[in-house]
Amino acid sequence: MRLFFLRCRKIPRVLPTLIVAMLFIRSASGTDQGVILYTPFTRISIPPGQSIDYAIDVINNGSTLANVGISIGGIPKGWNYDLKSNGWTIGEVSVLSGDKKSLVLHVDVPLKVNKGIYHFSVVAKGFGALPLTVVVSEQGTFKTELTTKQPNMEGNSNANFTFNVELKNSTGDQQLYSLRAGVLRGWNVAFKAMGRQVTSVQLEPNRTENITVELDPPDVIRAGSYRILILAETTGTSASLELEVVIKGSYAVELTTPTGLLSTSITAGDEKRFEFVLKNGGSATLKKVTMGFNGPINWDVIFDPKTVDNLEPGKTAQVFGTIKADKKAIAGDYAVNMEARTPEVTSKASIRVSVETSMLYGWIGVLIIGAAIGSVYYLFVKFGRR
Amino acid sequence: MKLSFPMERTPHPFWIIVQKEVGDHVRSWRFIIMVVLIAMTCLGSLYTALTNFNKGLKTEDLKGAFFFLKLFTLSDGTLPSFVVFINFLGPLLGISLGFDAINSEHNRGTLSRLLAQPLHRDYLLNGKFVAALTVISVLMFSLGFLVMGIGLLRIGIPPTAEEFWRLIFFILVSICYVAFWLNLGIFFSVQFRQPATAALSCIAVWLFFTIFYQLIVDMIAKASAPAITATPQQIINYKEFIGNLMRVIPSQLYSEATTTLLLPSVRSLGPLSMEQVYGTIPSPLPLSQSLLLVWPQLTGLIAATVTCFALSYSIFIRREIRTR
Repeated sequence: MRLFFLRCRKIPRVLPTLIVAMLFIRSASGTDQGVILYTPFTRISIPPGQSIDYAIDVINNGSTLANVGISIGGIPKGWNYDLKSNGWTIGEVSVLSGDKKSLVLHVDVPLKVNKGIYHFSVVAKGFGALPLTVVVSEQGTFKTELTTKQPNMEGNSNANFTFNVELKNSTGDQQLYSLRAGVLRGWNVAFKAMGRQVTSVQLEPNRTENITVELDPPDVIRAGSYRILILAETTGTSASLELEVVIKGSYAVELTTPTGLLSTSITAGDEKRFEFVLKNGGSATLKKVTMGFNGPINWDVIFDPKTVDNLEPGKTAQVFGTIKADKKAIAGDYAVNMEARTPEVTSKASIRVSVETSMLYGWIGVLIIGAAIGSVYYLFVKFGRR
Repeated sequence: MKLSFPMERTPHPFWIIVQKEVGDHVRSWRFIIMVVLIAMTCLGSLYTALTNFNKGLKTEDLKGAFFFLKLFTLSDGTLPSFVVFINFLGPLLGISLGFDAINSEHNRGTLSRLLAQPLHRDYLLNGKFVAALTVISVLMFSLGFLVMGIGLLRIGIPPTAEEFWRLIFFILVSICYVAFWLNLGIFFSVQFRQPATAALSCIAVWLFFTIFYQLIVDMIAKASAPAITATPQQIINYKEFIGNLMRVIPSQLYSEATTTLLLPSVRSLGPLSMEQVYGTIPSPLPLSQSLLLVWPQLTGLIAATVTCFALSYSIFIRREIRTR
């Protein structure tokens, strides 16, 4: 009768009929012999794929030693269990009078299980049974899951994007997943598990593996968002995940010359046409690239065109600069700094201009010397041959 | 001076005069003393340049290179450099070769005898000039190459082509400079009957230019100095005026020309405005630009030389030479 009271206290009220039924079973099998089964938690709610360890006490309240055969009755199909004590699988327990023995019942709830309430009982042969209830809290699955906490990343084109992806094997079997990615041309993808680059991973059932997906976009790429589908598949099951990479526009402009030569020579007061090349090395279109210069005083550089309105990524534009030297510039080297400016970036090219002085005064000097020698010649002719 | 004319394979009488004159010069004590004096001072300056070469290189920035030219310009202050010696002794050499060219012949009575030979009168003057110029050229080139050779032995760095040509031009300018004084000497030798008078006049001119002219220019500079409140333009004008006054004397022209030729980093000889200096890269000029820079100085030197010669020529041609 003590068992009855115990049961009344422990078992929730939602199953009164069951309790009543069991009461009859118990009284029929002779509870007065004084062996009872006890476990504190008889109704447990868990998700599929988990397992439960019940600690069951076999208590002998009788006056004599009791040999109790223990079995599990009514376990749902596909559920695995074992009953152990001290590391052995147990079928029968012998309990001294006034003593108790502890058993452990391990029950695996399979992954593929419907949501609902499941009953089974631990039966002590000839003494009674301990009914247990398992509430499966959600619908069980039989599939592979590929998830990430952060499926979106932003950066510029020369950055590497590292996604942390979790691959979960929720099937009942061990799986060997091959990892693939559907990428656009020029992209580089590397899967890494446990720090090593891999193309496939092996997973025990109900295990997860952290996989790092490294995405390296091409260096020259338009700004925008790119979707990359990654796949983990076996012959039987597969999972996919869509990652999104947002390439920020990077701005880079380079001012140089077609030959790379950055020096020229010029006569003072004269002008020289010089060819420049503007190169967009970024991933965004450059708008309104303005040409400017910073040179010696009274020097001028006229650019043709003064601004380049539109420069696509990876494209070049030709700009001519007419360098006009100061009339009073002295012979030797001057530095003239050319600059291509956008609000985002600037590029500078320093041109070394060798100034040459005008030959005019040289010729005047020659004339003066010529006049002097001419006068001597005149003297020769006039007086020389007397 | 004795002349003989073998009938066969005679050289042109002009070249005979030149040969004889060169012989006379080379054997004269006057010339030997001058050569010894110049050679010794030049070797002395070369010695100071070589002993200071390491120091000079350490303090100078090395990017300009032009080590070799430093042989001619380097000095530690105890002994002037090669260039300064040539600037100082060159006039003496020129005067010593020219001051008695005509008047000594006249005084010895050899002039009328000489011109009694079948040769044009101007051959004599031209021959004397060419002979002296030849001697000067040979002397200058040998001195220059002597310094180059000893320098090459000592420092072991051969001159680059650019350095070599700069040195050649330097020697040519030096010859031109000495030729001016030679012509001045010849002019005075035509003008004055007494060689002593001619020599003293030449020395007077030389002293005037080297010492007194400097003082006079200093006085003018002080007197015409602009006020403190003067505009930059006035100061530039003043500086240019003083600079041009200095450029009347040949030694100034010579020193400017040689400085520019031997120091390729010299880019201008006058005052420079900030506008001209801003944005410049300190770099050596190419030889052609250095030459263009000093072309006015060279023009002045050559023109002065030719003018002196023309004057002496016209006077000599019209002179009565038969009387003593």
